[in-house]
Amino acid sequence: MSRLQSSINTASADFRRNEAHNRRLVAEFKAKQEAARHARPQRDLDRLARQQKMPQRKRIEILLDPGTPFLELSSLAANMAYGGESPSASSIVGIGMVSGREVMIRADDPTVKGGAWYPLTVKKIVRALDIAMENRLPVVHLCDSAGGFLQLQSELFPDRYMGGRIFRNQSMLSKMGVKQLALVFGHCTAGGAYIPGLSDYSVIVRGTGAVFLGGPPLVKAATGEDVTVEELGGAEMHTSVSGTCDYPADSEEHAIEIGRDIVSQWDRLPRWEAQREAPEEPFYDPAEIYGIVPDAIKKAFDMREIIARIVDGSRFHEYKPNYGTTLVCGFANIWGFKVGILANNGVLFNDSSIKGAHFIELCNQNNTPLVFLQNITGYMVGREYERRGITKDGAKMIMAQSCSRVPKFTVMCNGSFGAGNYGMCGRAFDGRFLFSWPNHQIGVMGGDQAANTLAEVKANQMKRNGGAVDKGEIDRLWDETRKAYQEQLSAYYSTSELWDDGIIDPLDTRNALGVAISASLNAPLGPPGYGVFRF
Amino acid sequence: MVLKLDLDGTVHHVTILARRPHLVLSVDGRRHVVEALDEAGDGSRRLTVDGAPVSFARAGSADGAIIRLDGRSFALRRRDAAEASAAGGGANVVRAPMPGTVIVVHKRVGDSVQRGETIVTIESMKLQMKLDAPRDGEIAEIAAREGEGFDKDAVLARLVATAEG
Repeated sequence: MSRLQSSINTASADFRRNEAHNRRLVAEFKAKQEAARHARPQRDLDRLARQQKMPQRKRIEILLDPGTPFLELSSLAANMAYGGESPSASSIVGIGMVSGREVMIRADDPTVKGGAWYPLTVKKIVRALDIAMENRLPVVHLCDSAGGFLQLQSELFPDRYMGGRIFRNQSMLSKMGVKQLALVFGHCTAGGAYIPGLSDYSVIVRGTGAVFLGGPPLVKAATGEDVTVEELGGAEMHTSVSGTCDYPADSEEHAIEIGRDIVSQWDRLPRWEAQREAPEEPFYDPAEIYGIVPDAIKKAFDMREIIARIVDGSRFHEYKPNYGTTLVCGFANIWGFKVGILANNGVLFNDSSIKGAHFIELCNQNNTPLVFLQNITGYMVGREYERRGITKDGAKMIMAQSCSRVPKFTVMCNGSFGAGNYGMCGRAFDGRFLFSWPNHQIGVMGGDQAANTLAEVKANQMKRNGGAVDKGEIDRLWDETRKAYQEQLSAYYSTSELWDDGIIDPLDTRNALGVAISASLNAPLGPPGYGVFRF
Repeated sequence: MVLKLDLDGTVHHVTILARRPHLVLSVDGRRHVVEALDEAGDGSRRLTVDGAPVSFARAGSADGAIIRLDGRSFALRRRDAAEASAAGGGANVVRAPMPGTVIVVHKRVGDSVQRGETIVTIESMKLQMKLDAPRDGEIAEIAAREGEGFDKDAVLARLVATAEG
């Protein structure tokens, strides 16, 4: 594989303008992330200290093997929901190493409304367990939750992917032989009680840990019985009488110590043998990505320049370089793992779609994981392209991509508009992981396009009703529509709604993909096979 | 087999005609006889090329080498077949890759341009793209007008070769 030749001029005015723009975006992202992780009202922190509880992130730090990376997922979930009341959707989720095993860690956040689950908390937990199932990752639950946020119960309880799905997924994981451990630091009330109940192993902290379907106030209301927390669901009772939990612990540190020892007993399931070489840092400086990604979503850039700053040694074997040039396809290594990359260098045409479908088939036959680098405004429209069958060629790409058996990973590097999102493994296509850059925008169309369309519809309506076109009214509608669209197009809205597994600093792309690819190797590859391609 | 070697951006075609008793090369069609002499011991190497002595130093990497000769450094790189196939020819016209609108015309008739310099910026499907000069030359015609639309394959600009000297 030969090294990509960069043609970036780091002294150019364009580069410097882009760099200033993107560094500002990343600084903004890091400030939001820092606030979501650590900024809490003082009274909540004081209460935690009074209860002799560690902050949630401290628990995770002690649980992890020293010096190993932790890939936090969806750190800005719910950042645009509930008036910002639920930082990280009141739940910390990520992949890390515990006793030498890759595990999914899922932790409630007791500093926010007693760890209550908001609708997006439930969505985040379900997603974490989906990831665990798809990648056969054992799960460690750090439990400290008051239960569902009752004011919003209709959005978190009844539907297929709501509360019940957590417990269904826990059951499926156990059936698949993927282990789960619950460390009970605080209350596990109502539905939350089933988390330790459905885990293969559970540890509970004396004094602060408690598990029950209904707490003392609910029992009093229901039956008139007076009962203390300890009697009803404390560590002594559950580990010596009910058997709901397995091991009592004297402190949070002790619970984590027991937990690490439990994990070290677990067998290691075989991983599939992906092609691997010795890892090598990229030849080109990844920090130059800031100067390459343009300062406006409309401006095109060469995705090979990004590939050169993510892959090992900046080496890339480009497949079919002169055909369907708006989709760059080729092989590279990331942290030593062989991958097939599909990256957008413009609109998808007939030839680029067919090339993409063909390349996806090659990777499936070669057991090579797929990495999609999205910057896509859609499949080409117009008479000529429809006559050539742009719809059926796009369908081939979607078919090949949907039916892939190799793990798929998606990075939203810039725009993701229209059906291009589908062909390039958008959220609906079960990629193992999907990360976004802070500059990312996503929507069925752009803000200007939506505003123009709606303004035109409104003007026609005014004419039809016999009145004159009210220019002020039309302008107001245009502004409002564009503003609403811009807000919903942003990466922050996307990550708030869990349409991705988190925003990342572009410089962390290589590391995030490395952890993700490694995690994906725990699950065996399914059988090959596709549906009917329309030729 | 013809080796394609990129020396500071210029591609040379090298064929090995004989290895013994001396190395005989064809470089861009010219025949040269190369004799290797002992290493000088100070890291530099000595050869004779067509009988004339040459002394140089090289630092190698997987992709090529840096050669230090007569007080200058030269970057030498081997071009592989896949890369060469993507390098493209030297067309004289800039054509629209798809229907769209002209956003900016960067050059005027008579301007001299180098390969890779942007001639027009177009917009299509919400994406702004730069159309670059396919070769070194001079702008002979600009058909693109800012704000105007065009069809696929429309000629937006033409180049002519710059006169030598």
